[in-house]
Order: sequence, then C-alpha cells, then structure tokens
Amino acid sequence: MTLLAACGRVAADAPGDNPLASHAGWTRTADSGATAAVYFMLTNRGSVADTLKGVSSAEANTVGMHVSMQQGRMMQMAPVTALPVPAEDSVAFQPLGAHVMLTGLRRPLVEGDTIAVKLEFGSGRTLEVRAGVRRP
Amino acid sequence: MPVPRLSLIAFACAALMAAGCDGPQHGAVIERPAAAPPLELQTLDGGSFRLADQAGDVVLLYFGYTHCPDVCPTVLADWARARRLLGAKAADVKFVFVSVDPARDSPEVAHAYAMQFDSSFVGLSGPEAAIDRIKRDWGFAAFPEGDTRANDYGVAHPASTYVVDRQGRLRVLYHPGVIVEDLASDLRKLL
Ligand SMILES: [Cu+2]
Repeated sequence: MTLLAACGRVAADAPGDNPLASHAGWTRTADSGATAAVYFMLTNRGSVADTLKGVSSAEANTVGMHVSMQQGRMMQMAPVTALPVPAEDSVAFQPLGAHVMLTGLRRPLVEGDTIAVKLEFGSGRTLEVRAGVRRP
Repeated sequence: MPVPRLSLIAFACAALMAAGCDGPQHGAVIERPAAAPPLELQTLDGGSFRLADQAGDVVLLYFGYTHCPDVCPTVLADWARARRLLGAKAADVKFVFVSVDPARDSPEVAHAYAMQFDSSFVGLSGPEAAIDRIKRDWGFAAFPEGDTRANDYGVAHPASTYVVDRQGRLRVLYHPGVIVEDLASDLRKLL
C-alpha cells in the first residue's frame, strides 16, 4: 500500500491532481527596476498535451515569455504567446533559449530570495513556479 | 590507389600544426588576423579606454545592453567563470562590456552592471554618436526592438564575444553558448 501511494503515475492520474509541475527554478540577482529572466524546467506528467499561454508575477511591472534567437550575427529576442507542452514531456526554460522575462522589477532580487511566477495553460490549469535568486 | 587512412590523418595534423596548434581551437578563429577596429570611450575617472592602448593584454569585448535579461548576463557570467579558471594569468586579460543602448545605459550604469559579474570587469558606454561610430567601425548593427517609449524594449546586438590578442589583432569570435572551459583554454593559449 505504501509503495503504491508513493508512485508518481498513480498520483498524477488521480482526478483533480495537476500533471504540470516545475522544478529547478532560478533567476539572477538584480536591482530594483532592472530586467530579469526566470529559468525552470516545466514537466507535463499527464497523458494530454497542454499549452502555456500566460505568465504573470507580482515582482515586475511587465512579465512576458520570450525566446532568445541568433539571427545571422545578431542576437535578438522574440515574444512567445503560446508554448506547447507535450504529454509526458518536459520543456526547458534555460539561458540562451526560452525565459520568462520580468521587466521593471519592483524590488531588488537578493541572493537567497525566492520569487513566484504564475503560469496559465490552455487547459485552464495554473502553476506557480518558484525561482531561487542566485548570484549571476 | 586509395590513400591509406593513417597518412591522411598525419597530413591533417601537419596542416593543423602549420596553422598553429598552439593557437585558439574553439570559436571562429580568424585566419589572417588584422588590427582590431578602433574603440575609444570615456571612463568614469575622466580618462578614456582606448583599445589601442591595451597592447600586451588580451581583450574580450561584448556589445550588449544592461536591460538584456538573458544573453548578456549569460555571457558575462561565463566570462567570470573563465576568468576564475585562468587564475593568476587573468591579470593579463581585460573583460570589457560595451553598451549599445546609450539611451538607457550611462557610463555609470554600464560599469556598475559589468562589475556585478566580476569586480575586474570594465563596463563602457558613451554618447550616442560615439556608440554609432563604434558600430560603424566594427561593422555591426544594434537596434531597439519594440516600443522605445515604454523603457522596457529589447536591443538586437551582436551575438559574439570578440577577442583581441596581445598584439591588438582581432583573433577569435565566440558564440554566446561557448563552453567556459574551452574559452579559458583558448585564452591561455593567447597569453
Ligand atoms: Cu526576454
């Protein structure tokens, strides 16, 4: 009984349980008013694909999803409005790739702090990402 | 008659050695390095940073902006790790961040930003005309993306770190995702 209860698949399939989870969230130390990127691993343990559609946070004036891209010799960023999260798969938000961008930080981010970012999905589900603040 | 594989390898090695096995091995190595374009900006102490005055030191340059959320901090954090790997040899390497967003980055802001990553780093900015001149001399573009009235716009900027050798020649370009150990090992070869 105990072993069964600890099994992730069983727990994920339980009604009302969120198959979406995040881990390894982090961001860099930053001054108030500055810009920051939040990185994390997003996992969909469910058997149905979902779509990440919205990001929000109380930490900044503007919050958006972006991807950094090299275009020829230039580095540019493009906004992302919908990001597919396939079933039984993970999506990495990582340096030089996808990130949640916080613009106009409302307070300085100090090493050891944790900030929260809310993700909203096409399924109607939401997920709170917690990201630890690290030195750059 | 087919050429034996071994002699092909031997030939490749000889060719590599002729090109200088001692030189940098990673990044985009410039085959016939020439003098780097000029770069001169005022520093906070009232003096100026002139690239031409840095002969004897290896200089890394990155053209970015301090509101850059992802790429610039990734590059500068990697520089800081590479610098630590160099140990005492780091004294002969200058790490220089140049803002291509003079509208938001004063020289003070640019320098404070660079120093967050390593207190030895230099951060430079200047009047728009001076930055435009650098863009022209170095042959790259940098332009705001999005609404510049909003103060949260991004700036398209060169992807690569430019490395200038001790003779003042532009030698290697590294893309932003270069492995830090590779960068450090190349820098050691340039010292
Ligand atoms: Cu961004």
